Amino acid sequence: MLLVLTVSNGLHFLVAWEVFAVCGYFLITLDGNKRAVRTAGWLYLATSHAGTLCLCVFFGLLAVKTGGWELGPLRGDASLAPLFWLALAGFGIKAGIFPLHIWLPSAHANAPSHVSALMSGVAIKMGVYGIVRFSGWLPVPAAAGWVVMALGATSALLGIAFALAQNDFKRLLAYCSVENIGIIMIGIGGALLARSHGDAAWGRLALAGALLHVWNHGAFKALLFFGAGSVLHATGTREMSRLGGLWQRMPWTAGLFALGAVAVVGLPPLNGFVSEWLIYLGLFDAVAGKQASAWVAMPAAILLGLAGALALATFAKAGAMIFLGAARTKSAALAHECGNWMRGPMLALAGICLGLGLVPTLVWPALTSAAGAWQPVQSGGLSDCGNGEADGQRAGYPHHSGPGIVPAAVIGLTIGETHAAKPSAGGAPAMAEVPLATLGWVQLGLAGLMAAAGTLLWRKVMANNLRRGPTWDCGYAAPAARMQYTSGSFAGLASAWFSWILRPLRTMRRVHGHFPAEAIYQERVPETVLDMVILPLAARGMQVSAAVRRLQHGHLSFYILYVVVALAALASLVLLENVP
Amino acid sequence: MERWAGINHQNLNLLIGLAIGLNLLALSTSRLPMLIRSMSAQGVILGVMPILMEPHADWRVLLVALATIGGKGLFIPGMLRRAMRAVRIDRELEPLIGFVPSLLLGAGGTIAAFALTPLLPLLAEHADSLLVPGALATVITGLILLIGRTEAVAQVCGYIILDNGIYLFGLLLIRAMPLMVEAGVLLDLTVGVFILGIIVDRIQRTFDSLDTRILTTLHE
Repeated sequence: MLLVLTVSNGLHFLVAWEVFAVCGYFLITLDGNKRAVRTAGWLYLATSHAGTLCLCVFFGLLAVKTGGWELGPLRGDASLAPLFWLALAGFGIKAGIFPLHIWLPSAHANAPSHVSALMSGVAIKMGVYGIVRFSGWLPVPAAAGWVVMALGATSALLGIAFALAQNDFKRLLAYCSVENIGIIMIGIGGALLARSHGDAAWGRLALAGALLHVWNHGAFKALLFFGAGSVLHATGTREMSRLGGLWQRMPWTAGLFALGAVAVVGLPPLNGFVSEWLIYLGLFDAVAGKQASAWVAMPAAILLGLAGALALATFAKAGAMIFLGAARTKSAALAHECGNWMRGPMLALAGICLGLGLVPTLVWPALTSAAGAWQPVQSGGLSDCGNGEADGQRAGYPHHSGPGIVPAAVIGLTIGETHAAKPSAGGAPAMAEVPLATLGWVQLGLAGLMAAAGTLLWRKVMANNLRRGPTWDCGYAAPAARMQYTSGSFAGLASAWFSWILRPLRTMRRVHGHFPAEAIYQERVPETVLDMVILPLAARGMQVSAAVRRLQHGHLSFYILYVVVALAALASLVLLENVP
Repeated sequence: MERWAGINHQNLNLLIGLAIGLNLLALSTSRLPMLIRSMSAQGVILGVMPILMEPHADWRVLLVALATIGGKGLFIPGMLRRAMRAVRIDRELEPLIGFVPSLLLGAGGTIAAFALTPLLPLLAEHADSLLVPGALATVITGLILLIGRTEAVAQVCGYIILDNGIYLFGLLLIRAMPLMVEAGVLLDLTVGVFILGIIVDRIQRTFDSLDTRILTTLHE
């Protein structure tokens, strides 16, 4: 995997990429004796090779056009721009952008949890890395920013919608990865859009947010997958409807999972908030810029917000189903806490989440240099660029103070404005650094506030004579674990909004008559894109290939006949051309 | 000199006509000895042609003629007869294309060859020769034999008749590069013997009742 990052030769890149993809296959199929695991592995391998095929074509055409396999900045040559679509498709499959994500849920769900953590945290980021690398080096088509942003918004919203409807918690986490890749894509799309319009300021913010989110997602998603692995290890099931009440049995896992969930949802004190906030900031600047890009930035921001809300619902559901309430099955009731070796990595990752959240300025130099490498400021247009940014920013502020989502945003921006007005500040990096520093203080303050509020609440409760009783003991005579919300009913309302794409399979028998028989209600969300689009298409392709394959039967005479027919066809073609 | 060339031209066309007749004979017969005989006769006729085409026969043309007659008229048919005796089969029993249909196809192919030749961009000196349509007709015959016969010996005959057609076409160039034609004949011979060896071996395996599975597992 490191090779992919370090090579500067297209051919070597392809080889390294392929080695990386095949390693992924073997990691997924570590439990190869289960049928579902093998299926997931094959699906991964097939889609991964489809992606590699795109990349082969991409690098091949690149080599043909530039005359060599060496990679390097080639932004001058406009004829290379259409190649971006190939790169987007190839890397997009690996990253798991929405319509191309089909391999991701089953692969993540069926791989061992530590492998899922690695895949979700690092492997799919390689796709993002590829997109960023080649969009930085190559000229991109004018529509690239729009398309990437639209894809990102779609992935974010639909990814989290699918996540919300899942019952398998690892599958839920996998779909949540699709959502996060969508968020990253929104950031990258914003950066591309900003570059094509020539105003770099908000693009840099969005790109910085996207790159930071790559790191953050790597940290908290790995943490969540480790937590999921710990639960799986303790209970042996991935079905949320069979769990419950694990907070008492596994407090460490539960607490760390909750921390990761808070981070992934993007709530303030943790790192998910920082990167999403940077992306929001970029989008709002774009909207305030009142240029053409505002028309795509505004819906993207709205969809991002919607996705964030749904993510909150999703993780509220996951946390509540797995850790709260009463145990629904015996295996959940007999769960045990994971050992130190499993807890250690989770603690380290949680530390990263906390650290990045509370002191985001630590990563700013790295982000600045990365964004600078992606988009070096042209030496000629430096002063122009700086002025334009400053103008755009100033024009933007009055609008910001209106919505004011978080007070921190406003504080950060006002300070940023005064800073940016000075020419010595040196353009965008310094301008965004200041809001980040402010944000750090705000985060610290919020964390302190929350800790204080928590302590206060605890004292109050202790003072009022804490009494523990079973959950859901709301005046029922004999409460049973089956009375609790199931994961389906918890998310029922929200997932009903998306039933047009989720297409849940329902089995229902209502209660009717005076002596009703047993009533049944089952709902299962299939892999809609895979089952309803890809598989029928693949079946069609299989039919055609099977029909063609009948031509190959081993009879020499017929093979000669084929040759004769082909020759005759060619000859008649030549003759027909010569006759008139 | 002119008269001599004219007579030779007529003789050449006569020989080509004979070769085409032998094509049809080869297509219509079900008996393998007859097939081999017509093939070898065609080989002899083809061998005579270079001598007629060149007014001043030098030693290279003679060598080509002798090699062709020896190879196609005697050596390969002899090998085929031996192979036929070895497997004790002298009839094509289950042709994929029947004898009458293949004869009709061959006749149709010959007519098509004659009809198509004027469309081809040929040199003026070859325009009234039967060489090109004869070559095409012979190639078509060879292909029909290859496609329509299941018997390996008959298929080899088809291959060699196909080869005769290519050789006829090559005669167009004999004045330009006789060495090339010579080399072509020798290459033909080598390949012919080679294929013969393989096919005889295959026949022995196939008809040896123990090893029939080899061919069925070779399918695909």
